[in-house]
Amino acid sequence: MDDSMTPPVETSASRSRGTLTRVVRVAGWTSIVIGVLILGFVVQQLFVTTWFAQQHQTALTEDAEEHFAAAEISEVDYVPPSPVGSPGEGTVTPGAGGSSTDEGAPLGPKKRTLLVESTPEKGSAFAVIRIPTIDRLKDGWAIVEGVELRNLKNGAGHMPHTPLPGLPGNTVISGHRTTYGAPFHEIGELVPGDVIEIDTALGTHTYEVRETIIVRPTELWVTEPRDGAWLTLTTCHPKFSSRQRLIVFAELVDGPNWEAIYA
Amino acid sequence: MKQWFLGLPGPMPLKVVVAAVVAIAAIVVLFFVYDWIGTNLLDSGGTIG
Repeated sequence: MDDSMTPPVETSASRSRGTLTRVVRVAGWTSIVIGVLILGFVVQQLFVTTWFAQQHQTALTEDAEEHFAAAEISEVDYVPPSPVGSPGEGTVTPGAGGSSTDEGAPLGPKKRTLLVESTPEKGSAFAVIRIPTIDRLKDGWAIVEGVELRNLKNGAGHMPHTPLPGLPGNTVISGHRTTYGAPFHEIGELVPGDVIEIDTALGTHTYEVRETIIVRPTELWVTEPRDGAWLTLTTCHPKFSSRQRLIVFAELVDGPNWEAIYA
Repeated sequence: MKQWFLGLPGPMPLKVVVAAVVAIAAIVVLFFVYDWIGTNLLDSGGTIG
């Protein structure tokens, strides 16, 4: 080291170089922090939420099986509004109630017997959905009662106030498409004729896909009651966005209550 | 970061504990923020209405 060297004189050029260095350093660190935060977001949403959902699924599937064994099943009388598929669907025929005229000719639809199970508790697993043509769902995914955020973090959710699977009307089930295990990730690939099975305490209800549509999240009509027994699956659309909803309509084609509803 | 850590009160073991608690709290808060963003923008669960 040469002590006789004179200290460097700070010129305006070296000052501006120092400022530039600081700016570049701050910009660099800011970019790194933003990058780490974005990477953390992606990891948390795609992997951490899925890991939690899978942990819950294991327990919920066991809970559903316990529910199958413990659920109270009863028989109730059912009068279809009118023959399914006939003109004037959805209207109640005068004299409905299964009675006959004096001449013995049926006045209204024949009274039938439906199997029903007790309403599950909010948040509890009561059914399992299986779609053989979708890898993620071919082994089954537990369905819980309720469609609040905390319910859907655990499994697919059954919308309260819509019928339980296998019953007449429109059963609505919602599920995540990209996070929390993304049970409905691939339901956009379903085509008419594909089979959806739902196991409940009553048995296995088999539905066949009829139609897939895309709607706005506020289009409540998709949840309205329908003649016959229908299943409506709802999920976010497009993938990685909650801007719209992908809706899959499926109709009951087999199961413990099929004959009572359609025969 | 190093200056923040050295500026924490107490002896070194206490600094380590305080830093760990702050880091865990920050991660928990961050995950809640991530969850909120994800639920509102990325995937709300597909509910209607």
